[in-house]
Amino acid sequence: MAEILVERVAKSFGDKVAVKDVNLTIKDREFMVLLGPSGCGKTTLLRAIAGLGMADAGRIAIGGRDVTYQPPGQRNISMVFQSYAIFPHMTVRDNIGFGLKMNKVDKSTIRKRIEEAAELLHIEELLDRRPSAMSGGQRQRVAVARAIAMQAKVLLMDEPLSNLDALLRLEMRAELKRLLADVDATTVYVTHDQIEALSMGDRVAVMRDGEIQQCDAPNTVYESPTNRFVGSFIGNPPMNFLEGNIKRSNGQTAVEVAKHEFSLTPETQSLIHDLPGNKVTLGIRAENMETLLQPTPETVAVNVEVVEPLGAQNLLTVSVGGHRLKVSTHPTLEVATDQVLHIRFPANQIRWIDPTTNNVLYTP
Amino acid sequence: MFFLYPMYEGFVLTVYDDDALLPIRESPTLSGATVAKLPLGTELEINDRRSQEMVNAGSDDLITDQWFQVEGTGVDGSLLRGWVTEARIRVREEDASGQPLAGTVRPRLGEGADPLTKIHAEPNETSSVVGQLEQRATVTITQSAELEVWFLVQPADDMNSGAAAGWAPSSYLRVSEDASRGWVSGATSGEFTTKFIQRMVDDRFFGPALRTTLLLLVLIIPVQLVLALAMALVIHARIRLNSGFLYVFALPIGMSDLAAGILFFSIFTGNGLLNSALDGLGIIDGPFAFLTAETTGWILVAIVAAEVWRATSIMMVIIVAGLQAIPDETLEAAELFGANYFQRVRHIILPLLKPSIQVALILRTILALQVFAVVVALSGGDVVTVLANESFRQYADLRNTNVASAYALFILLLSVASAVFYLRSVRSEAEVRPT
Repeated sequence: MAEILVERVAKSFGDKVAVKDVNLTIKDREFMVLLGPSGCGKTTLLRAIAGLGMADAGRIAIGGRDVTYQPPGQRNISMVFQSYAIFPHMTVRDNIGFGLKMNKVDKSTIRKRIEEAAELLHIEELLDRRPSAMSGGQRQRVAVARAIAMQAKVLLMDEPLSNLDALLRLEMRAELKRLLADVDATTVYVTHDQIEALSMGDRVAVMRDGEIQQCDAPNTVYESPTNRFVGSFIGNPPMNFLEGNIKRSNGQTAVEVAKHEFSLTPETQSLIHDLPGNKVTLGIRAENMETLLQPTPETVAVNVEVVEPLGAQNLLTVSVGGHRLKVSTHPTLEVATDQVLHIRFPANQIRWIDPTTNNVLYTP
Repeated sequence: MFFLYPMYEGFVLTVYDDDALLPIRESPTLSGATVAKLPLGTELEINDRRSQEMVNAGSDDLITDQWFQVEGTGVDGSLLRGWVTEARIRVREEDASGQPLAGTVRPRLGEGADPLTKIHAEPNETSSVVGQLEQRATVTITQSAELEVWFLVQPADDMNSGAAAGWAPSSYLRVSEDASRGWVSGATSGEFTTKFIQRMVDDRFFGPALRTTLLLLVLIIPVQLVLALAMALVIHARIRLNSGFLYVFALPIGMSDLAAGILFFSIFTGNGLLNSALDGLGIIDGPFAFLTAETTGWILVAIVAAEVWRATSIMMVIIVAGLQAIPDETLEAAELFGANYFQRVRHIILPLLKPSIQVALILRTILALQVFAVVVALSGGDVVTVLANESFRQYADLRNTNVASAYALFILLLSVASAVFYLRSVRSEAEVRPT
């Protein structure tokens, strides 16, 4: 069992607060991704878990054992570094076996584990070479093999794919996912690449300014962001946001956006009614709107500004009442610039956001 | 060129003797073809003499002839003007300053002697004869010239007896009273020689100087390497007061070696700091003389202390630079994979520092081979001596540039040898090329 418990952990560098009061529980053998823009504190949090750079406050436990004040070598963890941090003066074999040797594992076991790890990463033929003459992809494999050979309960990865070129990154992403499925370790994976996060993680913790904004399964994070930041950070294109005015009359509440009145579902009625002020923000993803050529009572008329055919879909930039929206449509729908289209906003796809807190009011 | 020429010049000074041989010539002029070259001291038989152009007016051994330009009536009654040696003229009239104005031709004495005296166009015996004068003829002296005597010499000792006879100017010869024998006393022509190197090796200070230099090397370098590594690791550990350590460690670089020597002299001297401290603690009664000819061991201790104090930080700076080139993540990875501090130093830091350590060792060894001012300040340069000091002694005290140069070249040779030794024994390029 290697559940990771992060309790009220804080860390600052001088005046700059990197992580503030973060609470996070990572279940045994879970693949947790820490996702966020650069400077959000995700690497600092990972390093706090690793023990590289002591947390200023809070408590960290791994497998029920408090490791807050333990050096990294005693936390039963292993790690893949962003720069790989391979020891340049050692052969690949010695690199992979380094941790085992330091932990006084007996020689025959070390040899066996090195060979297993090398086989898993297809670097058997590199074992007796030095890293200086290797490509980035090969070094990356050595770094992963070194981490896996430890057979630690916790595997930490700090942007392991960020130094690879695009094609290799795609290939390694799938391979890592396959590989880590077979490794019995709780994994914490730091990345700023949302595709990596969504495709690999069991859960994704989205971070911003040292705080975790949302920690959920990839689909949930994508479909039901808890706030405006998560909606705008995840997804390509990001979620659309439209400012609306609340109309309260006779106990009935509606929202007017771009001169169109949206009726509300029973769950959201009271929430929006109780909002202070008259403003509310509508959030919706590009692929969740229905595009029609003919108007219906539920549709909003929009003017097409840009058409971007992307193969699997056409991405339209449309304008309505001074707002701009990104709408994705089926590639077979023929649309021209300056054409008028009619868009329907399905009520269950709309996320209403409190404009003062930026939190999503209700997620189905 | 700027870098090579002085080295070439030093090499030439060591192996080439500028003034080893005297060329002797076919005819008694500098333009005469050289028939042989004779080393200094060659014994000679002298067979003839001529007055000729002046070659070396300042020499102690210079022998000169005076020649007069005279005017008079020749044997054939015509008016003659030409040069004749002073030996043939008796001066009868001088001006106030002693310049000869007029005289008569001396008569020749002895049987069968030519009664006439030849007058030459130029002031030397090989120039053409313009006419002859009767003995006792009156002449006016219009000019006088001083000429150097050249001797026709034949090597007379066994070693050079085969050499041909030829002419040499008197200034390079020492001749006997009757000018029948002599030897070569000066030379103008060079030859390659090992005699300066021989003289260096035979010098009574050479052995002690070499021994002391190497002993200091063996005593100083390991201490400094360990100290410099420790200091660099302290600075790299990023603990509090870190930059304070750096300044304290690095400050001695700013002091000249002579000043450092004098400083340690003042510590070790009779009423210096060390004696005061030991006396104050009651360890000794009265001052102990550390720096005397009877206590060369203590002088060595003082030299080692001064050198360690002064020059360890040079190694430290190089090693700190090497440490900073090791990426933080590499050390973190080692820590994360369970290496404690000493294991990190042993398995990661030291192997990655190899190139820096190599540079530091080479540089420091070369500097240690040149150790000079500290030794002179602490020992006066006689009781304990080192190679650089001998080079200076040969140059400054004994005025022997060639032997001084031989010492300098010997130090260079040791430096190159030590650099090659380090490069081979700490072979590392392939292993630690940074990734």
